Amino acid sequence: MKIDRKWIVMAALLAFVLAPACAKKEPEVIPPPPPVTEKAPLTDVEPDTAPAGPVDPVEKKPEMSLQEAQASFEGQGLLGDVFYDFDKYDLRADARERLAKNADFMKSAEGSAYTFTIEGHCDERGTNEYNIALGQSRSTTAMDYIASLGVSRGRFKTISYGEERPFCNDSNEGCWQKNRRARFVITGRS
Amino acid sequence: MHRSTINTARRTATFLLLLGWGLLPLGWATGLAAQEPPTDGQQSSGLEGGVDPTIVVDERGRVQVRMAFPAAKIDAGLTGDYLEAAREIEQTLRDDLDQTIVFNTQGPTELAVLALTGERSQDFDQYKSLGNQVVLLASIAVEGDRLVLDGWAYDLPSKQSILGKRFRGTLGQARLVAHYMADALHYQFTARPGLSLTTIAFQSDRDDGHQELYLMDYDGHNQRRISAHKSTSGYSDWSPAGDALAYMSYWAGPPGLYYVELASGKKRPIYREGTLTLSPSFAPDGQRLAFGHSRESNVDIYVCDRVCTDPKRLTRSQAIDTNPAWSPDGRQLAFTSSRSGRPNIYVMDLDGSNVRRISFEGDYNEGASWKPDGSQIAYASRRGSRFRIAVTNLVDLETKLLTEGPASYEEPCFSPDGGRILFSLRRGKESQIYVMNADGSDWRQLTHEGNSSGADWSSFKQK
Repeated sequence: MKIDRKWIVMAALLAFVLAPACAKKEPEVIPPPPPVTEKAPLTDVEPDTAPAGPVDPVEKKPEMSLQEAQASFEGQGLLGDVFYDFDKYDLRADARERLAKNADFMKSAEGSAYTFTIEGHCDERGTNEYNIALGQSRSTTAMDYIASLGVSRGRFKTISYGEERPFCNDSNEGCWQKNRRARFVITGRS
Repeated sequence: MHRSTINTARRTATFLLLLGWGLLPLGWATGLAAQEPPTDGQQSSGLEGGVDPTIVVDERGRVQVRMAFPAAKIDAGLTGDYLEAAREIEQTLRDDLDQTIVFNTQGPTELAVLALTGERSQDFDQYKSLGNQVVLLASIAVEGDRLVLDGWAYDLPSKQSILGKRFRGTLGQARLVAHYMADALHYQFTARPGLSLTTIAFQSDRDDGHQELYLMDYDGHNQRRISAHKSTSGYSDWSPAGDALAYMSYWAGPPGLYYVELASGKKRPIYREGTLTLSPSFAPDGQRLAFGHSRESNVDIYVCDRVCTDPKRLTRSQAIDTNPAWSPDGRQLAFTSSRSGRPNIYVMDLDGSNVRRISFEGDYNEGASWKPDGSQIAYASRRGSRFRIAVTNLVDLETKLLTEGPASYEEPCFSPDGGRILFSLRRGKESQIYVMNADGSDWRQLTHEGNSSGADWSSFKQK
């Protein structure tokens, strides 16, 4: 029995040492296509590591959650959305005014504690794919203007959601105007 | 009109092609369970060489075959699931033939006026008396656990056999068996594959509200999900080999491009630098990819090779340039640009030079799809408050509208034979995928669940 145990340990060690080397020497074999069942494979092998999203530093316990901060600053009129004309991404006069206020807030003692994502949104008219590109241009013009007012670009990210995330779900101009916006979202602490 | 015949070389090619299919693993491409090739496409015994069928080619060069297709002979011993599957095979074959412009088929209903005797020569004369050039006789039986479909086509004037094929498949492969027979017939009469074995990729929010990738057979059957990213994913483009898709996903945050290999379901990133990458389009050789891409800027058109580490920028306008579509000859890209103030369709050479606008009607033109012969581009063209499917002829820039109605019609995509066009029909936020003939006739709704859009038709090569 002693011998058995010794052999087992030896074998295990050998296997441990040799396995990786053996595995490396194996020629790459492309597996044959597996039989596909009627149901498509739903368990994705996801793409390799995703870039990490914004992470809250947790050394100091924050007084407000980011969502609470967002709601509070929006409620005080310190931070607000920027609206666009149909099919357009250039800044209207009201958009420049709004962006100036947003910039002031971002430079203030309170606002400088945060980083932001500017989301570009579109109304449901227009094609899905073009609207994703258009939303990107909307968030970009907003970011460029804010940066021109002296806010560091390092504190922003942009993303376009096209017409995928409407704020208002009716099909009329009042609603569409609300959906054609660049939204400033607090996504981290600087 | 002129008469034409199919030559011996064509018949030989048909046979070799079918022989080739029999050797390939087929199950994965169609999503049907298959441990072994489901169909073998062998020449049925008793076929003595055959004759050249009498074929009429119309003024547009299209083959038109008037074919009698009486009720298939279903083995009297079949019951239960097998009988049901046999009926599905027959119905699917009828639907397949009905959906190509090649065959003008008379079925049991039209043929009921005939007083058939069971004597072949006399019956053939009767089929011919209704204007048919060809008759298709089909029989369905069971061999072990597999269904067997035999099909024989005869030239009615000469009463000689043209084609004899046998395809076998399991219960779950009933539709596939029929699709193979339809494709064999299509090839016999046109020397080109038909659409019955092609696949359509699309996106839908039907399962949990997120847009995910799906596949369906060309006729809308067998719809199956192939992604579970739980974030907007879609706008896919088939690899020319038909074994993979490139698509966009918000899966990792900023929208980027991914690749899914359909046999394994494995996915990997293609390109996701910058803030936004979207609308992939494979080059016809499958070695390069064009797409829209933004680095904190307006979207521009980029091209990269398979590795895609260093995409090359092709457009440098101040406007939005996006949604590229590689021309079938691989030499040009069609794309959408707002450089005129509104989105319009442009075509450029691969080095970004020789840019010319091809859409001049409507106030918003977007989403180019090349006809596979390179002669036309289809796109969505807004007229008033809604989109219609427009087709512009690239020789004289003549534009035709193909759709009319109370909805918005967007995202056209040509079938690989150029005969059909997929599109999305939108009413407000609701969207479903339809298919029509390339002249705007014969609409069929392909999706019904949730919202579906972004349809892309595979090539023929995926078998």
